[in-house]
Amino acid sequence: MAPNKIVILYGSETGNTEDFAKILSYKLQRLHYPHTLSTVGDFNPTDIINVRYLFVLCATTGQGELPRNCHEHSFLDKNKKTLWSFLKRKNLPENFLSHINVAFFGLGDSSYPKFNYAIRKLHARMVEQLGATEIFDRLEADEQAMAGSNKGTGSGVESVYFEYEKRVLEYVEKKFPKRKVDGQMVERVAIDDSIYLQPKSHLCLDQDSKSDNTDVKVTTPLKFTNDSAIRYGKVKKNKMITAPDHFQDVREFVFTNVNNVDHKDRYEAGDTASIFPCNSDKAVQQFLDTQDHWLPIADKPLKFTNGIPDALKSGGVIEPLTLRNILKYHCDITCIPRTSLFMKIWMFATDVSRMERGEGQLEQQRDKLKEFATDQDMQELYDYCNRPRRSILEVIEDFLSLRLPWEYCLDYLPLIKPRYYSISSAPNDPNIQLTVAIVKYKTMLRKIRTGICTNFIAHLQEGEVIRYNIYNNHLIREQYKQNPMVLVSPGVGIAPLMSVIKEEPQLCDNLQLFFGCRFKDKDYIYQETLEKWGKEGRIELHPVFSRDRENSPDTKYVQDVLWKLGEFVTNLLVEKKALFVLCGASGKMPIQVRLTVIEMLKKWGGFTNDEAATSYLKEMEREDRYLQETW
Amino acid sequence: MSTTKIGLLLIHPAVTTTPELVQDVKEGSTERGIKFVDQYLVNKVNDSSIKLKPSTYDVIHYLTPEKSDAILFPKKLIPVLQASMKPNGNFYGLSDIYKVDALINGFDIVNDSNDLYHWVNKANIDKPVSKLVSLKSTDSSNSSSSLPSFKKSVNSGKVLPSFKKLPTFQKKSDGPQIVKLADDNDELDEDMDEEVFSDFSKTQFFDEMDDEDSIEEDNLISEKGQNNVITMITCGKTKTSRKKACKDCSCGIKEEEEQEIDNIRSQQEKVVQFTEDELTEIDFTIEGKKVGGCGSCSLGDAFRCSGCPYLGLPAFKPGEKINLTSISDDL
Repeated sequence: MAPNKIVILYGSETGNTEDFAKILSYKLQRLHYPHTLSTVGDFNPTDIINVRYLFVLCATTGQGELPRNCHEHSFLDKNKKTLWSFLKRKNLPENFLSHINVAFFGLGDSSYPKFNYAIRKLHARMVEQLGATEIFDRLEADEQAMAGSNKGTGSGVESVYFEYEKRVLEYVEKKFPKRKVDGQMVERVAIDDSIYLQPKSHLCLDQDSKSDNTDVKVTTPLKFTNDSAIRYGKVKKNKMITAPDHFQDVREFVFTNVNNVDHKDRYEAGDTASIFPCNSDKAVQQFLDTQDHWLPIADKPLKFTNGIPDALKSGGVIEPLTLRNILKYHCDITCIPRTSLFMKIWMFATDVSRMERGEGQLEQQRDKLKEFATDQDMQELYDYCNRPRRSILEVIEDFLSLRLPWEYCLDYLPLIKPRYYSISSAPNDPNIQLTVAIVKYKTMLRKIRTGICTNFIAHLQEGEVIRYNIYNNHLIREQYKQNPMVLVSPGVGIAPLMSVIKEEPQLCDNLQLFFGCRFKDKDYIYQETLEKWGKEGRIELHPVFSRDRENSPDTKYVQDVLWKLGEFVTNLLVEKKALFVLCGASGKMPIQVRLTVIEMLKKWGGFTNDEAATSYLKEMEREDRYLQETW
Repeated sequence: MSTTKIGLLLIHPAVTTTPELVQDVKEGSTERGIKFVDQYLVNKVNDSSIKLKPSTYDVIHYLTPEKSDAILFPKKLIPVLQASMKPNGNFYGLSDIYKVDALINGFDIVNDSNDLYHWVNKANIDKPVSKLVSLKSTDSSNSSSSLPSFKKSVNSGKVLPSFKKLPTFQKKSDGPQIVKLADDNDELDEDMDEEVFSDFSKTQFFDEMDDEDSIEEDNLISEKGQNNVITMITCGKTKTSRKKACKDCSCGIKEEEEQEIDNIRSQQEKVVQFTEDELTEIDFTIEGKKVGGCGSCSLGDAFRCSGCPYLGLPAFKPGEKINLTSISDDL
């Protein structure tokens, strides 16, 4: 069958944009528009020739980059040519995309200097340079200001998306008011919301399996198929490196490749490792308990009716395929539910037998779930799920009227995605070291919130095997490797900088490290190593403690120390062309550091006003000499 | 006929790779009494970058490497070509695939052994068109009614009893309707031939997928922001009263949120004070004995009031002892 002419492409890092893309796809499906939904990275470049109507939704990450799933295929060779790398080729003619009508939706965060750069890049290349026709001016949403996005007009991210959706649907409905079924033209009528749309391929019992009707025992080591790029690592160290009484648990986590002798892990300073987490057995059992009709077949062998869905392949497909394994290794049941989940499951609120108050309560639950699914304001959903960080499991436990069909669980439950961590070990060291802050926090919910991956890591024992991958980020340009460096890292921001400092032969003999944390005695991670390096002269160390008057009497934050040594640092940046690398949490910190650097340039760098200093900083950014790696 | 016929040679882009084909036609043209005064790539005509003069040509010859029963030709171009031809002009190169379009546009089809298959422009001479047009319209009126079988009336919100493919262990009584979309039958009704030629010429760029010479991504963004025209939303819903604390909040919202959490938690502490005996006293199912009079406490956070002491706790069965230790903090 020829590839579809209507295509939705998305680039998503946190999953927000992905959910919007799924919602759009779902609406098109209900209106019988045959279409393809894919990440930019997974879309086969040659298929672009068949596309006529293209809807692009894309987030922006890091230094104004397109998200990872635009640059890479999710389960094949990471070096496979993607659509985006293809479209960037110089020799394409200016009418190359003239056959395409396109509409863009960007999701960005205005606290980053390169706000919504990804969608702007896509737009510039596809429309201005390759001749695609834009259906309407693109839309840009701002994650930062819940009530202030869209250039301060007061529309939240959702309203920007729903405006986009409205325009897209109006466009296709005008273009194709009727549909052709078996060569006959019929009116285009939307399928009713209460009908569940079966996915192309879904789970069913594997009757042919020789272990017919007997429960499948999980074998060790676990086996995952269909992802040729996945690697296996054995845990060698998992040690808390903050003080035992400190509120934050930071781990030094080390693992080494166990099976792929043929392709060694090659990486440089600034590269990341992705880790594929899984759910705890307890969480899986809790989920099964809410859907007790799943229990009898939870350990029976399953298969797909129409092949393994591609989306499942990233990280490999668990073997043996049982419901319990799928819930454990593939379904993210502890994440916060998104709109698309409710869209797909609200109609399954049908089980009155578990409703203490009978039909009335059933109706009430059904209505509430439907409201979560369809309310464009998303206020109720936000208050119920996002604000308290409520998990899918907890929602399902609250809504016992839900009687979900297990056959389609991979269609409506979100999939577990890998999490990315900066590598702290020296480049190419086979013992890959990560520095992981275990996520734990309180909300109004009684149960402490944890992150799926850090919780997974926190419970790993030495010798256990994990799935991972290595990503090259090319953080530091080759030409700067001999320049002096100003390395700034509050907290676990130190993670990638450890690798920079450890590189052999040593990059430059002038490495200035500004490290910040709360207390000298509690969260000064890698203290011994850093101090040793300081003594040896490998680095010049400038620690600062924000809640520790005794050890840090006149400075609190990294930017305070930068300012204190302003003349020296500015001289390095301007005269010695030093590389400035800032790593750590996103938010106010990088903004304040940036402002400090501008002030320094003004005071000591010979730049007379804000404009001149800012333009110098921008030049540094363009040259990749001012790097910001925040998360 | 001794006068030289004015000809137009239209060329499929793929023909440019086999110049000898063009050569053959040109050499044969004198024999046929044709002088090809113009020669264009068909996609240039199709995208209107070349405009044809009206009533100019006696002959148009379209040259394509495609087999005659597999020619892809933009239908919208046929009337354009017709307009550029003199009455009784001949059009060579297409086949009976485009018969209907030929007839609609006023061509006669000549298909006998004495001559090459071709069309003759009779557009301004007689008018055989109307019945064909009506044929087309009856065709489309025939087909407007049949709806897909699953699109039967659906009572909103009511549970539908027809559950497809039930696994054996499942109750057959409830569950919503599930449909499988027959994507394969559903196609976009569209004039799809507009870009046939450009598609063809574009595919050559896929041959060298490994070409590494790429544009610099950062140059796509201009500081001046000429690509900064975006759709503004001016009448978004104003209901968004939501405020969210930023990661490094310094404006007080974070404190408000923390305060709220603390309040809820201290409320929860009070809940724990109920003894088992007291709890049995509290029967949410009996009218008039509901805690706080709202009756929603047991239903879960989605239904609780904003000041409910049970906020943050799972839904529970009325009368059930709330066991907070089971929801352990495991810090």
